Formats: sequence, C-alpha cells, structure tokens
Amino acid sequence: MLPDLLILLIMLGIFAAGVFWWKLPAGLALALSSVAGALAAGYGLPVRHLVEGMFGYLDAVLIIATAMVFMKAIEASGALGAINSAMIRSLYRWPTALMILVIFFIMFPGMLTGLSSACILTTGALVTPALLAMGMPAVAVGSFVAMAAVYGMIAPPINIPVMIIGGGVDMPYIGFDAPLLLATFPLAIVTAVYFRVRYVRAVVPGVVLAKLPPSVYGRHGVKLFAPLVVVVGLMIAVRVVPAWVPDIGVPLIFILGALSAWRTGEKISLVKLSRAAIRDALPIMTILVGVGMFVQIMTLTGVRGFIAVQALQLPPALLYVGIAAIMPAFGSAYAASSVLGVPLVYVFLGRNEIVVASALSLIAGVADMMPPPSLLCVFAAQLVGEKNHFRILKESLPLIAAALLVGILLIVYAGPVGSLFRY
Amino acid sequence: MKAGISAKQHVKSGIVAMHHMRAVGFLVVAAALCVAASADFLAMWSPDEFHPSPALTRIDSLSRYCPSLRGTRADTRIFVYEGAASGPTLLVLGGTHPNEPAGFMAATVLLENIIIRTGRVFIIPQACASGFTCTDPLEGSPQTFSLQTQSGKRIFRFGGRAANVVDQWPDPLVYLHYPSGQQLSGNETRNLNRAYPGRQDGSLTEQTAFAIVSLIREEHVDLAVDLHEAAPEIPIINAIVTHEKGRELAANAVLNLEFENLQFALELSPANFHGLSHREWGDWTPVIPFLMETSNPIQGRLRGTTSEQLIVDGVDPWYLIAGRLGTMRITYDEAGESLSGRVGRHLQALRALVDVYNEEHPDSALVLEGLPGYGELTARGVHQYLR
Repeated sequence: MLPDLLILLIMLGIFAAGVFWWKLPAGLALALSSVAGALAAGYGLPVRHLVEGMFGYLDAVLIIATAMVFMKAIEASGALGAINSAMIRSLYRWPTALMILVIFFIMFPGMLTGLSSACILTTGALVTPALLAMGMPAVAVGSFVAMAAVYGMIAPPINIPVMIIGGGVDMPYIGFDAPLLLATFPLAIVTAVYFRVRYVRAVVPGVVLAKLPPSVYGRHGVKLFAPLVVVVGLMIAVRVVPAWVPDIGVPLIFILGALSAWRTGEKISLVKLSRAAIRDALPIMTILVGVGMFVQIMTLTGVRGFIAVQALQLPPALLYVGIAAIMPAFGSAYAASSVLGVPLVYVFLGRNEIVVASALSLIAGVADMMPPPSLLCVFAAQLVGEKNHFRILKESLPLIAAALLVGILLIVYAGPVGSLFRY
Repeated sequence: MKAGISAKQHVKSGIVAMHHMRAVGFLVVAAALCVAASADFLAMWSPDEFHPSPALTRIDSLSRYCPSLRGTRADTRIFVYEGAASGPTLLVLGGTHPNEPAGFMAATVLLENIIIRTGRVFIIPQACASGFTCTDPLEGSPQTFSLQTQSGKRIFRFGGRAANVVDQWPDPLVYLHYPSGQQLSGNETRNLNRAYPGRQDGSLTEQTAFAIVSLIREEHVDLAVDLHEAAPEIPIINAIVTHEKGRELAANAVLNLEFENLQFALELSPANFHGLSHREWGDWTPVIPFLMETSNPIQGRLRGTTSEQLIVDGVDPWYLIAGRLGTMRITYDEAGESLSGRVGRHLQALRALVDVYNEEHPDSALVLEGLPGYGELTARGVHQYLR
C-alpha cells in the first residue's frame, strides 16, 4: 500500500491527464482517477464503493436535470425573453443599479434553496442573454453569474454548508442571518460594481433589445410568467407555510414549473425540450457522479483524513493561509464544510462560533468554483457558450481572492463581529 | 457526384453505428457493475442475530407502539426482561445511529448477559433499524465487522447514520423539526436523534421516534439511556448528557465513575436544541433521560484508512497526530479507542446510573446482575461476552 500523499498525487495526476491529455469528459476522468486511487491503495476494483460514491450527489443530479428542463421550457415559451426585455427597459438609465439588482436577482434561488447550481440554472440563465447583449464578454458574464451563485448559496436564509458544519458540532441553525448577510451582501455589491466598471458602458436599450429575441409579452400577457410563479411560489411556500404546503422536493417543483409553461406562452414540445435539456445537463451530471466516486475513494483510502490533518498541522501563522488554500481545494462546498469545516470550528473554539461557521461556509462555498470539478465554472461556461471553463475560473480569481479574504477576516475578528450582533 | 455523397453517407452511418455500439458497451458495463454492487447492498437487508440471556421474558416489536411501522424496515425488536419482583423500568437504546457500533454492541452485550432480580428492562439494540440496511455514501464505510465469539465468528452490520433513503426519500433541502419548527440540514430528516418526540402520521423516522416516546409513556419507563458515539474531535465524548431532571443523578454517577478511574464529562442538554432524546424524552414524558457518548475514530473526519479494523481496534495514525496537536479533548494514544473499551465505558456508566438511582430509591430498586464492566471488557475483550 502506498503512502496517502502518493495516492493523492496519482488520483490528481490521472484526472489531469484524463482532462488535458486524453481529452476525456471531466466526469469520466474523475471516475478513472478514483479507480486508479483504489488500485494504488491496494483495494483492487471496489465496485460497491464506486457505485455508492456515484449516488452521493443523486439529489443534486436530479435538481440539475429538472432545473434544466424548466429553463428550456421558459426559454421556449418566451418568458425568458420577456423578463430580459422588461429589466433593460426599466433600468437602462442606471447601469450600476442594474448590475446590483441583477446580482441579487441571480442570488435569489440560492438564498432560498442553498444550492449554488440553482442560481446558474434559473436566474443566471434568465439574465445571461441581457448581460451579453449589454456588451459584456462571455467569459465575464460567466464569472459574474458563477460568483453570484457562490454568494447566493452562502447568503441567508438557507445555507446548507453552515447546516452541515452545525450538524457536526451540534449547533442549531439559529442566529446566522446577520453574519451571513455581512459575509455575502457587501461582496455581491463589490462584484456588481467591479463588472460594471470593467465591462458595462452606457446601455442603449434599442441597441441591446435588438440583440435579444422580441418580447412575446404583448401576445400572452401575465400568464407568460406562470411557470416562474409556480416555482418561486412553491419554494417560498414550503418554507413559510410548511403545515399547508408539503415539501415535495426541488426536482418536482421544477417539473411542475416546466409543465405550467405549456399553453401559457409560445407553443412548446415538452418531450423535445426535455431531451435537449438532459443532453445539455449530462456533462455536469457526470461530473457530480465522478466527484462522488472520487470523494468515496479518498475517504476509503485515508487520503481525505490526510488532507484534513495536514491543514490542522499548519503553524498558527500559516493556518489562515492554509484554510484559504486547502478548503477550496476540496472542489465541493459540501465536502469542504463537512471534512474541514467541522474540525476547524473546534480549532477556533472560544471565538464567536456562529461567525466562525458563517465565515468557513463562505470559504467552503468558493470550493464549488475550483478544480477538479469546477462545477460552477462548467455550468457558467455552458451558459455563455464558452468551451474552456478554466477561462471563467481565471476571470473570477480576483473575486475569489476577495471572498477568501473576507472569510479569513471574519474568522480573525469573529469575537468583535459577533458582539455587533449581540450573540 | 452521387457516388461521393453515398460514400460520405456510408462513413457517417458507420460513425453513428460505432457510436451506438460504444453506447451499448457502456450500458452493458454499467449494468454489470450495478448487478455486482446490488448483491452487496442487498446483503445488508439480512437481520443481525441476537442470543438473549435466559432471563429474557419476551421479544416485542416497536410497531406495537406505532402500528404503521409494521412491515416496514424501521420496525425493530425490543427485548424485554422482567424480574421476579416489581421495581422501576429501564429502557436502553442502542443503534440510534448505526454507524456508532459501541452503542449497538453495548446493548447487545447487555441483552446477552443480563440477569434481572427486580424491575423491568427494555432493550432496543437497533433503534434505527432502517439505518442498518445501508452505509452512508461518500464515507467509504465497511458494511460489516466481525468478532470471534465463543460460538464462532459473528458478523454484525455497520450501518449509516440515518434511515435508509430507500425507506424515506427524498430529503427536503431544509428539515423543519416537529413541533418546534427548528431548521436543520435536510438529511437530518432521517436522523432518529433529531426526530423526537415524533408524530404518528409523520415520516418513517418521525413514526419511529413517536413509537419510542409512546413506549416510554405506556410502559411507565423511569430511566432511559440512549447509547451513542461521536468523532474523537467532538468535545462531547466520553460524556453523559442529561436533561435538567437527571442532573443530580448523573453528577453522582460521574463522581462514582471517577472513583473507579473512569473520567466522564457531564453535559446538560441544551434547552434550545430540539429533536434530541435527552431533550425531548425529558420534556414530553416523565422519564429521566440520559445519552452517553464514547469516542469512535471511524466516525471522525480526520481518520485514515476506513476499515473494519478501525471499528474494532480504534487505532488511527492521523488521530495520533491530531492528539499530539491538542485538537482533541481526550487523550488519544497508540492504544487507540478499542470497541471493547468503548462498550466497557457504556456498560460501566449504565451500571453507575442504576446504582445511584437505587441509592435514591431504596424501596424500589432495579437489581441487575451479569453486566461486565469496563475492566472486564478491556481485559478479556467484548467478544468474550457474546454468546
């Protein structure tokens, strides 16, 4: 059996070779690297573990598949175009305000569901055509949407990484709203202003609208927005009045939303658009399946523990740098918060634990951007038609650095920050 | 020209055919892998064997207290022991979290060795029976562990933390605890120790919790102990957690355990954290509840290789390092945290709680015999106390 470090290097090496050299889809490269890791650790071909790992993110896979069907449905019905048109007509005079409004709009589904991917697949997809029509480069739009998705996942009221950390340390999900707002909203505004200054010039509505498909609002009226009302309404209702509206699950909500696009706008074929949606979502879904196998084999072989202990062994002076470097390297917000988030709360015991957990969730959230899976970058690249998702990651680096800095500062000053909220 | 087009079409149809063949090949490989893996998964549906001590009075089912559980994988056996004379009633729960084997094994050792003179004891070794039919994805856990007992090799299941998704799915994104409305991560919906007091028409896990609370009420249980384990880096390990009404009793038990050279932390159940046995049993029933935690490396996030050996020996190289770094509240050395030692801690603490209860209630004592203590279990091994 090889040392853990060598197993890790073999897994990462096979993944990199798979993607860059053999030009395999990232999901398949992750599966291959998992098999290689198991072989290197002396487990042979552990079929049960590989299959079990594949199911690790089944719920997320279902959400992505159904969200994609929903997006295709509202795109085909004309609702998407009508929203873009209305947004540009009403806010073109104030581009900075428009960008700030747009970033909060993208964040909204993530705030409600705790899922970063929901932001890209729903509101992110809604605004992308408008942002492109406003003259922003595709890579910048992808970066803007991906970063908004990170903030949406971390912003209150629902933050799954904090819930995962809280579950590990027996901390109820109470009192997190203010620290999470502080961790995300200023970053979101800075991000909006950053992209506004760099890429958005004066918006001329006629020019922008000419690049978009014509609005069909006049033909169908408000019923055009029925699918959005169904999805947003159900997502809010299951939280606000759970006694009246049972939680039927996000996939079923998206399916109901897609079904309600039938006969409320332009004529659509649900079968055809479902096939197209699944075809588009397949590469992303395979990444999640591959990540599941990858994490399962890392845990089985002890590599996961090796990484976690290396982080804890860092000297105090390097601890914060180590957290900022290692947590995102998990490539998944959920994995980072579970593996490192929980022990790190104990490392910082005595500071304000609610603020520390909120800050750790922000740092863990950045992991959704990072390779190997680079899930949000892949999503965003697909959205804007960019073939190389690493360009989106590169474009986002200054903002990722800013998010990590905010996270670290919140940990360092957790005590004083916590006292602001009277915990 | 026509011949050129047909050649192109021929090449194109050849590529399509090859693409289809490759797709079929992938499907065949995937199906073969699924069939191979499903045999492993289905093997976990076979129940574990128990060999109760001769003192056994009867075996009940949890569905007796919530009929809707009958026929589901959440229904579980209750081993009932009644003494010759009346006395107080004790409930012992193991396997609330099937990935915490010392709780399950302590209940098993108890039911296979107990002698009862007065009072009654209800033992549920696999409280979350559904959770024993699966392992948690992404955790790389073994499905079983084995011990060489007097009657030969016995194999026990090592399950997941919560009920099987096959039995309760899908999870909501956010779990709203009933009746408090407390929010937790969606996967906690299947966690029995976040579901109390439960409800009869709720999810399978809530029904299980409801049945246990109903048992406590209907059988007039006086003392109830929920046996758990936690990752070594968690501060609440080697601890007894209790409701306000059990504080004095637990404090005296902890003191007595110190005289026996066993350190236990005493933790009071947080009033604002709902769904837990030590909180809700105490709030909703007359019972005095306790929850006990030992230190279980295979649950920890810092662990190295995840293996059956780690369950039984509890020796892990990364925890040795973490221990030296001072990131743990307990001492973790080369001896590790063996299953025998962890079961021993549970049983010794259980004995201490019963002893203190008996001191406080001399007219109505629960007289138990045959329970091995920490010293015996660490000296001889847990396998020696399994039939």
